[in-house]
Amino acid sequence: MAQPRISAYLPPDIDPTKAPLAFGRRALPKLNEELQSPELLTQQRALMALCDLVHDPEKVYQAIALGFLDSLKTLLVHHDQTVRQKATEVLSIMALHSIGRQGLIKSGVISALTGLLDDPVDICRKNTHQIFDMMAKLPEGAGGVLQAGLIPPLVLKLKTELDEIQELILDTLSNCLRVEVSEALAAGAVTVLKEKLSHPSTAIRSKAAWVLLEISSHAEGKIAVCKEEVIPVLVSLLEDTQPEVQVNTTGALMFAAVTPQGRSSAMGAEAIPPLLKLVAEETSKARLNAIKTLTLLAELPEGRQTLLDHRDTFQRCLDDPSEAVQRAAEIAITVIEWKP
Amino acid sequence: MVPTMVPTRAPELDVPYSFCSQPRSLAPRPKYREQSSAAETEKGPRRYGNIMIDPRVVRGNALSLRLLPEGAQPSTPEVKKPKKARKKLPATKLTQEQIRPGTPEPVEGREHVYVQTELYLEEISDRIIEVDGECQTDEFLDRPPTPLFIPAKTGKDVATQIEEGELFDFDIEVKPMLEVLVGKTVEQALLEVMEEEELSQLWSHQRAFAELRNAEFAELQRLEEQDRRIREEKERRRLEHLEKLQKQKETAEKVAARAFAQRYLADLIPSVFNNLHDSGFFYDPVERDIETEFLPWLMSEVEETLQKKVLGRMMLDSLIRMVVEKRLDEYSHPPPCDQTEAPAEDPRATDAAPQVSGEANAADQPVAEE
Repeated sequence: MAQPRISAYLPPDIDPTKAPLAFGRRALPKLNEELQSPELLTQQRALMALCDLVHDPEKVYQAIALGFLDSLKTLLVHHDQTVRQKATEVLSIMALHSIGRQGLIKSGVISALTGLLDDPVDICRKNTHQIFDMMAKLPEGAGGVLQAGLIPPLVLKLKTELDEIQELILDTLSNCLRVEVSEALAAGAVTVLKEKLSHPSTAIRSKAAWVLLEISSHAEGKIAVCKEEVIPVLVSLLEDTQPEVQVNTTGALMFAAVTPQGRSSAMGAEAIPPLLKLVAEETSKARLNAIKTLTLLAELPEGRQTLLDHRDTFQRCLDDPSEAVQRAAEIAITVIEWKP
Repeated sequence: MVPTMVPTRAPELDVPYSFCSQPRSLAPRPKYREQSSAAETEKGPRRYGNIMIDPRVVRGNALSLRLLPEGAQPSTPEVKKPKKARKKLPATKLTQEQIRPGTPEPVEGREHVYVQTELYLEEISDRIIEVDGECQTDEFLDRPPTPLFIPAKTGKDVATQIEEGELFDFDIEVKPMLEVLVGKTVEQALLEVMEEEELSQLWSHQRAFAELRNAEFAELQRLEEQDRRIREEKERRRLEHLEKLQKQKETAEKVAARAFAQRYLADLIPSVFNNLHDSGFFYDPVERDIETEFLPWLMSEVEETLQKKVLGRMMLDSLIRMVVEKRLDEYSHPPPCDQTEAPAEDPRATDAAPQVSGEANAADQPVAEE
């Protein structure tokens, strides 16, 4: 008897874990309806299919126009972990496109994601932090993260989370703290970051130094950094062999040394010799920051005295291909040779 | 055509058989046929007849051919109809299957006898030779699946064979397809690599920008800080200067006030001294001494002396009075007109005495005042 199935084997590109897609423009609306169905399997299959579709920017645009974000928001609190994981994955891929980011800000997904920070599943948390990271790169996104009051929980999570998630948190924090720093200081961010500066992983150290840089670019941050005595730790980190760590550390020192207390604390921690070493290296990325820090330290009388002997190092910096370094070297020489 | 599946047996284990019609026991054969229909319709308690002596039950070899006796079957109306029909139309409606074409009637005097004409004679008897055989089936097995029905081949067999190289040359034909496949894959890979490169370039660009921005920001903050310090310094110096001016002014005022006061006071002292001198604060002690002690003593002595004088005069007056009174007494024995003259003289004398003393007192006082 004839049957519609030709062969006992399924055709090779049907994935039973994904929902079949309707043709053309109908694909996304149908997936939207399937997402809202009460049956768990349908929802999971629809999410898997959606994950693959969302890599295309046009589909992202269409999805946001259709209001997928609201159905995804309701799915974020689903009891099944696969649903949550896939929903966060979809949102994180959407956040890679600028339309996606704007849509996420407008529909207030960030506040809905705050509940997922304590999710027991690792992947959900990782995706959530990826979303926060991408959002924080936008100014409005950073504002949204700040408004959702996420900074204190993120600072707390820094102490307890896995390493790769910690990197994401540090990135998010660095972008958000560029805007406003008071909440983080209230949550004791400087202490946590001081511990992270001695973490075995290079990436975490460099990112922690970057966050400290952002903190100390604000006035109250500088005061907090001086008070918590982070400067000696930073000076000890200058000896680190990894270039990213060096760059960020010198940057943090640069900002922290602007205040007089910071300057004296840096002088007390004997920051000048390692900085001079960094300046002398021709290929160091930290050159610019090191020159700037030395400029700041040269405003102190003791610093000026010490640096008067090392003027030739700065002269050599004038030949650097980067224009910024040249300018910085000129300014440094001017400051060193200034007489009251 | 795929054969239909065997209907699955009911899973009940205590019923081993399945029937097309359930077995039922037959009611006993009625003695009288006319009662048969009545007995069938009666639904009362079934009386089971003895199956062993029921003539309806077939006995013996179940596989032998036997015809049911006509009378054994109760003639139901459906059976009666065709019988009647057959009886009515004996000749014309008889089909070949119902009545075998008989041999013609025997000729007179002859008799037809059935004779076997085969090679081997066969003993025909009603009683069939029976042999008892036993066999026991195995446990009921599942009905084996129906063997695949492959219909018999119909039609003419025709074969054709494509020799190698007749249809197409694989190597040549596959080239464009392979090119497309490989090209697309490589293109996709290249795109991805380029995208990654672009992304990393963007990131490094962003990093460089961030560094520059931070450096500039730090420079800005440094200059701000410097500016702030300079301003503070200036402010402090200005305040100091103001204070200094203030102090200077105060000092000048003080000096001026001092000079003025000195000048004022310089004039003051002589006048003060003069006033004091005038009011008698500066005195010559000897003079004062003389004035305070000597002169009162002198005056008191003078007063005493004068009082003594006065006393003396008073004494004198009193003496005079006494004398006068005595004389009066003495003269009173004579005419009394002398009495009135004498008292008139006395008051005059006594008036004169206090007057004299008053004059003496008055004279004393201006001297004491001097």
